[in-house]
Amino acid sequence: MEKSEIEHLLNLARLNLTNQEKEKIYDDLLRILDYVNQLNEVKIENIEPMAGGTHLVNVLRPDEVKFDASLSEELLNQAPKTNNDFIQVPPIFT
Amino acid sequence: MIQELHQKLVAKEISVEELTRDYLARLKRENPELNAFLTVAENEALNQAVQIDKKYLDKSQMPLLAGLPFAVKDNILIKDIKTTAGSKILENYIAPYNATVIKRLFQQSAIIIGKTNLDEFAMGSSTENSAFGPSKNPYDLERVPGGSSGGSAVAVAKNLAVYALGSDTGGSIRQPASFCGLVGFKPSYGAVSRYGLIAMASSLDQIGPLTQSVLDAKIVFEVIAGKDEKDATSYDVKKNNINLPPFKNIKIGVPKEYFIKGIDLAVEGAVRNSLKKIEAQGAQILEISLPYTPYALPCYYIIMPAEVSANLARYDGIRYSPLNGLKNDLDLMNLYFETRGQGFGPESRRRIILGTYVLSAGYYDAYYLKAQKVRRLIKQDFEKAFQKVDFIITPTTPTPAFKFGEKTQDPVSMYLSDIFTVSANLAGLPAINLPCGQNKNGLPLGLQIMAQNGYDFNLLSFSELIEQILKT
Repeated sequence: MEKSEIEHLLNLARLNLTNQEKEKIYDDLLRILDYVNQLNEVKIENIEPMAGGTHLVNVLRPDEVKFDASLSEELLNQAPKTNNDFIQVPPIFT
Repeated sequence: MIQELHQKLVAKEISVEELTRDYLARLKRENPELNAFLTVAENEALNQAVQIDKKYLDKSQMPLLAGLPFAVKDNILIKDIKTTAGSKILENYIAPYNATVIKRLFQQSAIIIGKTNLDEFAMGSSTENSAFGPSKNPYDLERVPGGSSGGSAVAVAKNLAVYALGSDTGGSIRQPASFCGLVGFKPSYGAVSRYGLIAMASSLDQIGPLTQSVLDAKIVFEVIAGKDEKDATSYDVKKNNINLPPFKNIKIGVPKEYFIKGIDLAVEGAVRNSLKKIEAQGAQILEISLPYTPYALPCYYIIMPAEVSANLARYDGIRYSPLNGLKNDLDLMNLYFETRGQGFGPESRRRIILGTYVLSAGYYDAYYLKAQKVRRLIKQDFEKAFQKVDFIITPTTPTPAFKFGEKTQDPVSMYLSDIFTVSANLAGLPAINLPCGQNKNGLPLGLQIMAQNGYDFNLLSFSELIEQILKT
């Protein structure tokens, strides 16, 4: 990994860090990547990737609307800024 | 422990309120030193206790967990109680609903006593990544209790709660249970609903109990397990799927790859000694090989951060509670950058950036896709092994509890604490820590038992037998 890539990753992840923090995270990432690169020893031809959950069955349910208005209110109450029944955000198009 | 306390409540030797006050008093006395709890639910606990005392008067049959105070890791939602996930970014977050596991425990009239400390978003092996300071190991206050469910482990080890819930993504129940001399059980992936668990790595996370005994773990697991329509990955694990064969017919595999260079001699000695005792009771011990074991931790450190970077994207300063000390008039981009930059601690940032990297254009195949393939090879290792053996026994951790600061400088040295536990998460297997002795300084040591996917109840029944054997 090139040091210049850190800026790009921080931008993708929407993280603002000080220069000192950037140095440290770059150092740490090099160590971690060095460790995980052991996987290059493994032969993986013709192996299907395993995407997650291990109990693979279809999960079906009736298409019923279950709406709990009190939960909507509770969820809205957590947002820093609201306006009537909406979450308020800073202008998106400026 | 659960049955004994239940009997006392049934026999009216003690009321639920007295029991709850007893636990609360001990908790408040011990917690300033141990920092096991982030929130004490004193009012909720006492209100519940009064109600449940009435139920004990009215009803002849009460559930085993009725009136017993339990603790919950602070990444599991309990309605109207603060839930921080150990992070500054959720410092002011009040849970809007109950997690399914909490709903199920409340249906049994269980009493919530408080929320326990953890590494931020359950990422760590020592609680040193908590934004609210580490918890301390009750066996040696200069040592970590393990993590990430460290607060839950301390709470049960010091009897500040009858039992506790934790979550386990790569060892976060079993490793602190090992460091604090407890039983810690990670169920099969899907055995327990994750609805209301703050997601870290969704294909690996499971909720499970930390308890004083295997029987207690079984009692709690029976209540929290089972299909939940709010978690599509959940299903009913078979109860009493197969009765355990007679003990002398049980085959136990001991994978040679788990006795690596660098393992603490006391840990290895305690596990080997336990295996001798088990063999003396007639079970068959077979050396087996799980050849992909050395790749489990590197594989985990690609898959897990990839999922973390996606799951933690939601903390953007817009939907959840406001961050303390943030400027008021930030534009949208700066609101994102400042909230996340100031709100996440160093380990969360590391894993977000690492996950972003392994998923980003040009690196996806080299890292993430490759890790997914290695994950399948690891799962196949276990499938082959379980054709030959019924259970697998290994050490839970390579060392006993380590000192504060010992592993905080180099992240990889901290990650190595989970080297024996991550495989069960990658393969989705049920796995449990049982205490198996102490080192010469009195620090607890633990062994891990793993079983086939979905054989949770068999694993617990077998563990009860092993627990008895290890006591002799």
